[in-house]
Amino acid sequence: MQTDAVQTTGEKTARGEILLHVLVGALVTAAVLAICLFAPTEKTMGDAQRIVYIHVSVAWLGLLGFIVMAVCGVLYLLRRNLAWDQWSQAAAELGWLCCGLTLVTGSLWARAAWDTWWTWDPRLTTSFILWMLYCGYLLMRAGIDDAHQRARVGAVLAIVGMLDVPLVAVAARWFRGMHPAAPTMDPTMRAVLLSSVVGFTALFAVLLVRRRAQLRLEHMLDALQRRIDLNQLEL
Amino acid sequence: MAAKLWWMIHKDLISECRARLVWPAMLLLGVVVAVVFSVQMDLLPEEKPRMIGGLLWLAIFFAGMMAIDRSFAAEREQGCWEALRLYPVPPTAVYLAKLAVNVIALAALQCVLIPLFVALSDVPLLAYPWAMLLVAFLGNLGIASVGTLLSALTGGIRQNGNLLVLLVLPMVIPVVLAAAEATRLIALGDFGPAWWRWTELLGAFAVVFITAGTILFDFAIEE
Amino acid sequence: MTEPTVAIRARGLSRLFGNRLVLHRVDLDVAEGQSVALTGANGAGKTTLLRCLASVLRPNTGEVRWFGQLATADPSTRRSIAMVSHESFLYPHLTLRENLIFAGRMCDVGEPTRRADELLARIDLSGHAHRLPPQISRGMRQRVAVARALVHQPRILLLDEPFSGLDARGTDWLLGLLQGLHARGRTLCFATHDQEKVRRLADRVLELRSGRVEEVAVDESSVSEEAPALRAA
Repeated sequence: MQTDAVQTTGEKTARGEILLHVLVGALVTAAVLAICLFAPTEKTMGDAQRIVYIHVSVAWLGLLGFIVMAVCGVLYLLRRNLAWDQWSQAAAELGWLCCGLTLVTGSLWARAAWDTWWTWDPRLTTSFILWMLYCGYLLMRAGIDDAHQRARVGAVLAIVGMLDVPLVAVAARWFRGMHPAAPTMDPTMRAVLLSSVVGFTALFAVLLVRRRAQLRLEHMLDALQRRIDLNQLEL
Repeated sequence: MAAKLWWMIHKDLISECRARLVWPAMLLLGVVVAVVFSVQMDLLPEEKPRMIGGLLWLAIFFAGMMAIDRSFAAEREQGCWEALRLYPVPPTAVYLAKLAVNVIALAALQCVLIPLFVALSDVPLLAYPWAMLLVAFLGNLGIASVGTLLSALTGGIRQNGNLLVLLVLPMVIPVVLAAAEATRLIALGDFGPAWWRWTELLGAFAVVFITAGTILFDFAIEE
Repeated sequence: MTEPTVAIRARGLSRLFGNRLVLHRVDLDVAEGQSVALTGANGAGKTTLLRCLASVLRPNTGEVRWFGQLATADPSTRRSIAMVSHESFLYPHLTLRENLIFAGRMCDVGEPTRRADELLARIDLSGHAHRLPPQISRGMRQRVAVARALVHQPRILLLDEPFSGLDARGTDWLLGLLQGLHARGRTLCFATHDQEKVRRLADRVLELRSGRVEEVAVDESSVSEEAPALRAA
């Protein structure tokens, strides 16, 4: 009787998850279709301009990843619960990926628009520095074996990085400016941009939850292993 | 607490004076980098006033990080670090003491590098000494505040693989940029709103990160 | 009859190192004036436990109190405690006298210079006051290290294998000093392998095994198998 109840709850969760994944899949597909088919072709740049829909989405997600990472870092330092650190790690990995994609798509856009592979315009510069901060964070963490030490070091790095980002953005903007300032967009284009941002954010959220679940399982396995070792010691 | 702060700074300065390990290496690195940069500058003599700010501050950063990296390492290697944590001294005081020592080290570095750059490039950086002093001091505070905190954070980790410079460099980009620009404007004698903006950014950076350092230091040195 | 004051109270201390659980919910009470020995095999966690009791190591769970006050509360609570560790805690570029003066200043000792001279006289090293730590012998350094710990007259003294590396004369000196402190009501907690020191100095013996602490009778505490050289002496 009890196992039946557990099974049904398990089934319900599994079904709920499948529905969620289908929904997110639909959102992303819709976004991609919108980008490819519904968005009107831009006057000056032609089809290459479509990359901006992805570029803006991943740029936003690169920043979101850092914010989540920093907030969870603060929560870890206050509560000392490793769960918060797992969220930080997952957010960092995804954020790093999105940030990297921002640089790549930005580079492709620059090539199409200004015939150069890179420009030091404020937003790309900020993205690049953000990417370097992510790299430092992940590298530092990779070298620490102890879970709590890793969490604590990560948290401090994330908080300092978070305080730094606005200052970097300001400095970069004052230094020079070439980025297209929020172009007056055609309403259809704006709608496609919105759908793209929504779709990719939903994908980010799902991947974040999945990755965190993976980290949690790893942690639980370690704890079980420790308990086995401890019991073996006492035999 | 002020007394303890003073004595900790005093202890570090005396130790460095007697050991003479870190500062000479730092000064030497600074000079070497300055000379290499000045060779580059000579290739484009008309561009010197525009380039000098960035090159000067990069030299200060890389040489200065050598001293900042060692600021906790020495104590740890000598086995004295734990004693500092055992004393009834607030961690904030330890942070501010180390920060002060690092600022002094960077200032010593600048006393050598700035005249050297002036000599090698003929750009009149010292035409307005008070302005240069202000920018140098605020730039120091910015680099040292972040560097000291992260040095404490990563110092205890055996496998840190000398990541300190990699971690600090992206974080102090605003300082290097702002200080470089302010320096460039000093070289041109331009003290308009742009110069003030950059100097205020330096000040804001220093305030934000010294505050962050005093709050986070306790977490950084925990074991 | 009044209850004796509890100098050190630890509850539920657990500490993980990587994947190893070194301390497992350790509870510990040390009354004021007691002398407690911590024994156990190498790697059992004696240093870890001592460092947690000194609050330089943060336990994953649990808390430590000194005379009722939380160890992590305020830096000023550290005035009740001092630790002698594997490391000498002496700055190699400061003279012995300067080292002691610095320690005095950090611990809010009134007239630190006078106190430093006093301590140097007590440990019989006044003649070496202006020498640097690397220039003196290990035994002398250990004496200075102990003096440094006592500069602010702490009520609790934690010692991590204080007798290791000392010759017979140094050992006798330290033993005498610690017995004197114990007689004057200071609380001592020391980790050691040496069964003889345990007998001569400890009121109680706690053995660390598999992350847990067990009270053991003073005469029957087991000697670790990993230190046969000490036993032979």
